[in-house]
Amino acid sequence: MIVVNLDVMMARRKMSSGELASRIGITQANLSILKNQKAKAVRFSTLNDICKALDCQPGDILEYREDEEE
Amino acid sequence: MADKEEKRYSSGVIRISKLATIVFIALVVMADIGGYFIAKYVTYCWIEKFDIMSLVLTTVVFYVATVCGYVVLFSVYKLLSNMEKDIVFDVCNTRLMGYITMGLIAAGIACACETFTWPGAIFLSVVAWFIALIVLCVKTAFDKAIAMKDEMDLTI
Repeated sequence: MIVVNLDVMMARRKMSSGELASRIGITQANLSILKNQKAKAVRFSTLNDICKALDCQPGDILEYREDEEE
Repeated sequence: MADKEEKRYSSGVIRISKLATIVFIALVVMADIGGYFIAKYVTYCWIEKFDIMSLVLTTVVFYVATVCGYVVLFSVYKLLSNMEKDIVFDVCNTRLMGYITMGLIAAGIACACETFTWPGAIFLSVVAWFIALIVLCVKTAFDKAIAMKDEMDLTI
């Protein structure tokens, strides 16, 4: 499964959810969906905006982990 | 402008459908009230069977079919009410379609039991099961649509 490590990057950059949401142009609710691993997909444009706002690479935010079932 | 017209058209269709459902429910209620007499007429005049077992079977099948009819018609009415409120691709609607399918299958089984008295009742069963199949197909399509909608809603 793909794990979204947004919390880690936000803590490193000392950025709040509200600030990040407004910078990338999504609602806090959607950002929360992303942070809580509930998102089914992320658009490249959104990923681009996140990386721009947090000054990081996609790999810093997205991580692949083996599913327990697999 | 075209959007408004389309909305007016679809809400008109839903309103007419709800009215038709109410009419059908009223007919089923009337059938329930006069059920024994209708069953008696069908057994003696249509099927021309004069034994008590045939009358009992026809009456039981008739009332079971009306119960199934209530389940189906109330589910259809609830489904139409949901659609009127713009609740379309929702789990509650697929659940209602499930009830409609089961009601139709049960009605078909009841009609199949009537074949002991009147072999022609098998055609009613086949019609009921055919409609159940169509509703099941629509339910499957709705299930897929709900899954796709969830995927879209959870795409950030």
